Amino acid sequence: MSQVKINRRDFLKITAVGATVLAGMQVISRVEANETAPSGGRQWAMVIDQSKCTGCGYCVMACRAHNNVPPDITWNPVLEAGQTGDKKIYLPRPCMQCAKAPCVDVCPVKASTHRPDGIVMMNYDRCIGCRYCEVACPYGARSFNWKQFTGPNPAVPEWGESEIARRPRGVVEKCTFCFQRIDRGLALGLIPGVDPDATPACVNVCPTGARVFGDLNDPESNVSLLLEARTSYRLREDLGTAPRVYYLAADAKDM
Amino acid sequence: MKTLKIPKLSPWTAWAGFLGIIIAAGLVAGLIVFWKGLVVTNLTDLVPWGLWITIDLSSIAVSAGAFSLCAVVYLLGLKRFQPVARTATYIGLLGYTMAILTLMLDIGRPDRFWHSMVFWNQHSLLWEVTMCVALYLGVLLLETLPIFANFRWLRSRMPRLAGKMSQAHHFAPYLAIAGLALSMLHQSSLGALYGVLKARPLWYRPDISVLFIISAVASGMALTVFASMLSARLTRRANVDDSLLDRVSQIIGWILVLYLYFRFWDALAMTYTYQPGRTEGLYLLTGGALSFNFWVGEILLGILVPMVILINKRMRSLPLWRMLALLLVVGGVTAYRWDTNISGLMIILSYLPGEPSIAYTTYQPSLIEFLAGAGVISYGLLAFSLGVRYLKVVDHHSVETHVQELLPQRTQKVPVPAGD
Repeated sequence: MSQVKINRRDFLKITAVGATVLAGMQVISRVEANETAPSGGRQWAMVIDQSKCTGCGYCVMACRAHNNVPPDITWNPVLEAGQTGDKKIYLPRPCMQCAKAPCVDVCPVKASTHRPDGIVMMNYDRCIGCRYCEVACPYGARSFNWKQFTGPNPAVPEWGESEIARRPRGVVEKCTFCFQRIDRGLALGLIPGVDPDATPACVNVCPTGARVFGDLNDPESNVSLLLEARTSYRLREDLGTAPRVYYLAADAKDM
Repeated sequence: MKTLKIPKLSPWTAWAGFLGIIIAAGLVAGLIVFWKGLVVTNLTDLVPWGLWITIDLSSIAVSAGAFSLCAVVYLLGLKRFQPVARTATYIGLLGYTMAILTLMLDIGRPDRFWHSMVFWNQHSLLWEVTMCVALYLGVLLLETLPIFANFRWLRSRMPRLAGKMSQAHHFAPYLAIAGLALSMLHQSSLGALYGVLKARPLWYRPDISVLFIISAVASGMALTVFASMLSARLTRRANVDDSLLDRVSQIIGWILVLYLYFRFWDALAMTYTYQPGRTEGLYLLTGGALSFNFWVGEILLGILVPMVILINKRMRSLPLWRMLALLLVVGGVTAYRWDTNISGLMIILSYLPGEPSIAYTTYQPSLIEFLAGAGVISYGLLAFSLGVRYLKVVDHHSVETHVQELLPQRTQKVPVPAGD
């Protein structure tokens, strides 16, 4: 110990200064990250018209079929959300694909990440199943695979064919705006939100057209035009999560 | 003390056998978890963290004696507490291995436990905790090398290795710095892990991190002193210098004052104005399902009673009173960890538009969770008992001579550079 040139006091000082600088850099990087808004390229979003939603639940089943979701998990439930006059109001709840997603922040292994197009993506090969994202998500949009999904998928083939692999036991899963349909559709030169083959399954199956899908950065897209024309809201906007799912509130006149 | 004369039927055999049975049951439960998956637990998507997280948080909390007492000895220079720090370091090593065992049960993919070491998400407090725990486990292993060098079998079979291992003691001050830094980070981050979640208004506040580290230091020191005293009463292989333990106990009493002070302001601030989710969560603790845990377990028996006993010189000097107080501190901090975790999860704040509404859920651990948890705790108890028996983990006399061997080297060599 006596060979070491710096004494203990110096060592402590250096350690303290180093730790402060590192902590400061971390804070600065967080603040900067919060200032950058998602921009450039395509930014997928969904608009859900509550005046049109009848609560039929077709979207729930189509989602289960196309995304190979086990019967005890729902990525995309349809909830009851009050009443207007004598009509019930429904609220379908896919993953909000938040621009400031708490799940992406808390994941210890970067298994939850943002794609450049804004979709909050799950890497099922990387997830360790700690479930911190489940605890952090304000929308309850995440489900853990408590057991392996075995046997046939009851939603197939009635509601469609499975397009992605089943998730293994022990990982968290969630809605991805049917990224597989978007990516395949784009590769075929189709437009997501316009061509059904490039559009999320829940949007295609909806019998009343309550769900609209498209690119927020394209001013001529269905979603941009709808958000321009109508007043919309998002869930728990006060949290600052910046969801990419917009709702058009139910209006008794339109129902 | 009682009967160590008949080895085969001694209390030691009974104790080790008893723990062995629980460990075996825990092992079976653990294998069932790995075989069947987490479906055998009572955890749900609403309450994804339960009993095991509490064991996890608590065993890391009671390990905090290691870093705090090592800092006292090697950074504040209070060398006479070195034998107590030694016991704390050994407990720390056991606590962290217990935490890692429980985490391996708790995560859905234990085969991928190493992912957080490779795929860094610096924004995640859980990543930071994992890294710190892994690094600190390394520090603890180095710090406990001299303890394992005491193993008679090792010393007779491989004396050179044992000699090398005990030389790790020379790096103790640097290990103490590393331990302090890593522990300050992750002991508080374990609280901050909850505190940064805006979706859970009861947790979303900066105070949890501070409360976690203060309570961890109190409970870590308390367990160290309690285990030392109990060992000294039960076996001749442990001997203690009560003046040291008395002093540490007094310090614990004052740390409890600090802890109570912060908890008071933390709780009081939350009682002002209605905030959806937070107010209901607070009520759960002060008047609802968790109120007994909170008022009796955490505050009365966990803080107030031991605080008075440990600060009062006369009460503290009665061994049984002191031991009771120390055990209450550990129990109180464990209750705090359980309540913190479960209170935030039991409240479900609606995300539907309009007036935020609250739903409640419940959680009761399953038998498998209890058995696996008991197995992990028994492993800790058995490893400590073995340490007392074979590694002189609680030995305030022989360690002092060990330190004295080192001291002349220092005092001889320091004047040579004529620095100070």
